[in-house]
Amino acid sequence: MQFTKIENQRAAESYYRLKHSSGLTIVVYPKKDFKSTYASIGTKFGSIYSQFRYKGEKITVPNGTAHYLEHKLFESEDGDAFTKYAKTGASANAYTSFDTTCYLFSCTDRFRESLEILLDLVQSPYFTPETVAKEQGIIGQEIKMYEDSADWKVMMNLLQGMYQNHPINIDIAGSVESIKEITPEILYSCYRSYYNLNNMVLCIVGNADPDEVLAIADEQLKDNEDFTTESIFPEEPYEVKTHYTEQHLPVAVPMFEIGFKEKFPGKYADNQELICTNIILEAFAGESSALYRELLDKKLINSSFGTEYMEGFGYRGVIFSGEARNPQEITDIIRERIRELHQTGISEEDFENARRSIYGKLITGFDNHSSIASEIINGEFTGREIFESIDIVAGLTSADVNERLKAQLDPDNYCLSVVKNADD
Amino acid sequence: MIFLIAIEKIGDVVMSEFKRKEICEGVGFTSIIDDRFKRGRIGAALIVPLERKTAAANALLSCVLTRSCKKYPDFTALSRKLSSLYSAAIYPSVRRIGDYQVIAISASAIEDRYSLDGETISAELAELLCSIIFEPNMINGSFSEEDVEQERRQLIENIDAEFNDKRTYAVNRCVEIMCREEPFSIGRFGSRSDVENLTQEDIYNAWQHLLKNARVEITMLGSSDPDSAFEKFREYFKDKPRKTSNKSITVSETGDVKRIAETEDVSQSKLVMGFRCKYPETKRECIASSLMSAVLGGTPTSKLFVNVREKQSLCYYCASRVDNEKAMMLIDSGVETENIEKTETAVMEQLKELVKGNISEDEINSAKLALKNAYISCLDSLPALQSYHIGRVNRGDGLTPEESAEIVETITKDEIVQLAQYIRLDTVFSLIGN
Repeated sequence: MQFTKIENQRAAESYYRLKHSSGLTIVVYPKKDFKSTYASIGTKFGSIYSQFRYKGEKITVPNGTAHYLEHKLFESEDGDAFTKYAKTGASANAYTSFDTTCYLFSCTDRFRESLEILLDLVQSPYFTPETVAKEQGIIGQEIKMYEDSADWKVMMNLLQGMYQNHPINIDIAGSVESIKEITPEILYSCYRSYYNLNNMVLCIVGNADPDEVLAIADEQLKDNEDFTTESIFPEEPYEVKTHYTEQHLPVAVPMFEIGFKEKFPGKYADNQELICTNIILEAFAGESSALYRELLDKKLINSSFGTEYMEGFGYRGVIFSGEARNPQEITDIIRERIRELHQTGISEEDFENARRSIYGKLITGFDNHSSIASEIINGEFTGREIFESIDIVAGLTSADVNERLKAQLDPDNYCLSVVKNADD
Repeated sequence: MIFLIAIEKIGDVVMSEFKRKEICEGVGFTSIIDDRFKRGRIGAALIVPLERKTAAANALLSCVLTRSCKKYPDFTALSRKLSSLYSAAIYPSVRRIGDYQVIAISASAIEDRYSLDGETISAELAELLCSIIFEPNMINGSFSEEDVEQERRQLIENIDAEFNDKRTYAVNRCVEIMCREEPFSIGRFGSRSDVENLTQEDIYNAWQHLLKNARVEITMLGSSDPDSAFEKFREYFKDKPRKTSNKSITVSETGDVKRIAETEDVSQSKLVMGFRCKYPETKRECIASSLMSAVLGGTPTSKLFVNVREKQSLCYYCASRVDNEKAMMLIDSGVETENIEKTETAVMEQLKELVKGNISEDEINSAKLALKNAYISCLDSLPALQSYHIGRVNRGDGLTPEESAEIVETITKDEIVQLAQYIRLDTVFSLIGN
């Protein structure tokens, strides 16, 4: 087993990658002269993987299972991982998203011991009826916290408005009711299906040496049988489910998200598509755009206004979001300007400005160890190499971007989600 | 009660990673040369006592200033300039440090060596920042009416939106109630009605007052040569010394515990407990106080996390944090309504353990390791380093993050227990759901 070195001259960055004999993909990204090390191990398993086939058997799990599993993996037969990390000083955490679950730590000392804890954590599941039951109160409160979170609800409601069948419309943590159905057996079946090292990536960024990481991996990792669990996703129509969704929560300023759903072409977006989309959104709705200015002049938005591209297996869409007193009027204006944009395309001048801006943001991203690690892990799961984007943006033309625009921002396939006070 | 704490004069300091020069009394310029990063930054922090009559004007001023300037007298023109400089940014930030308001105007951009066409971004950025601070977009001696109204509306919406996040709201309310006799109860942006009532003249006066009287700390971080930026700021500030008078902090005596409950249509109730602590008089005491809070509720092996969350499953979070500049500690949690009392009792039990000295070697050691990790990690992020530096200047202490980490190592259990004796519950705020 040998590391391959991957370099980028423009960004003056490099990393090392190898497929370990255990099945795990290992990426080590040394950052010279940094004091801290950030380590994350991710599995391609998140809340949308609610139906799958494990060695022929079809399994459907309760909503919130992936997240519940994340909590419970911290415990093993010989105690919980937090207590172990407490002896090394590492700051540890974990998160579950729609399509991944990651376990991480950041340390400035005793890296070896912390990495051993991390690799042990994901390899030694221990679930009993008692330990699983104990977590219900804690996760129940986490769910309730999210129920009161206006920015979380406005997004989940949007996804429910946009998606008719795809499980992206289900809350990552599930509900207080659904988590009651989770048993040790269910957790073990997910673990067996998705926590196979062939389905996982370890990424270490910062003060790290590839050879040291490999030596620890050789000691700690158990060989895994190479197989892929078949994940099952329902058919999703092109059309959104509804154009409007609203929820009442005690908020002082209403929050909104407008989503423009796109066709899912059966694969993850590649780097070129993502860069083109970012440039389109920057040129069309960034702070220096005509649209942003128009919405400001009409006193409709404030600095919370922003855009993002949401993309994964079975779902793609552009989201505009912010806090505003009149989200409907914002939606009307955005849809109208999108229609015009499809007529005119993005001008050479707007393109060049946006391209430079996106390039600057990409370069800046390499200052942040945790964002490098999550980009690398996501990239491994979606087939995107992270340095490729820099060279793409350096050589892109406005024609590339305008070509991409054709498949995006259908002004009629939209949904507006609003969270506001009952009396507004 | 008002304490007066003498500020140790920092003056010119040369340390391994940073260099500080004084332009004149009360105006410092610190450069931290570090070539490990892609994005460099430069910022001017203006530090003034937090006062009801000026807080809102200072906050609104910082927004108005960063919206345009004489050279780019329009929001869109300035934004376009910034995008063309590879997503450079100019932004305001306002925060409280003890009874002081810190108004910062900062700029950041990728380092020159990463520009696609070989431009020197850093020189343009420093010039733009100076233009923003010293040469605003004025029409006949006042700020542009349009800029002021736009920023006023947005600032009011920002203040309103603090209610949207219930954890933040509950913490803010607790502090407001606890410190109602103190400057600290003034929000960092002033109040909504203060912002509504500001006149053009107030904003102009705030600008003049800040430039003339505020304590100024300019920080430049990254690999660019700081000399030309230093010259630009020196040119403006060289003949304008200001008094760096003794720092004052107002701390009310704790009487009966203030208990305020509000009801709201939320599914999870929030409990926030505000405590008075001893004002740390030395750097060592500051660190000991942070360590005490880490032992109680700052890490996943702290007393609160282990007992209130893990053993009793009462909550998802129950955490303590200490504000050394204000000599206060806050503990907050999100719980079922019927568990509010039970949680308060559980928190007080853990605090009692601390006061009695029932702290294990393991608890202290893991808190020490976590705190050391936090200090050293500062060195790997320029925004963290910048913020650490401003806190340090404000306090008048010259400790680097490494030195702070070394002190952590030497703090004893006795010191923690000593400090814990001073903790008094002052205010309990609960936001009760249905």
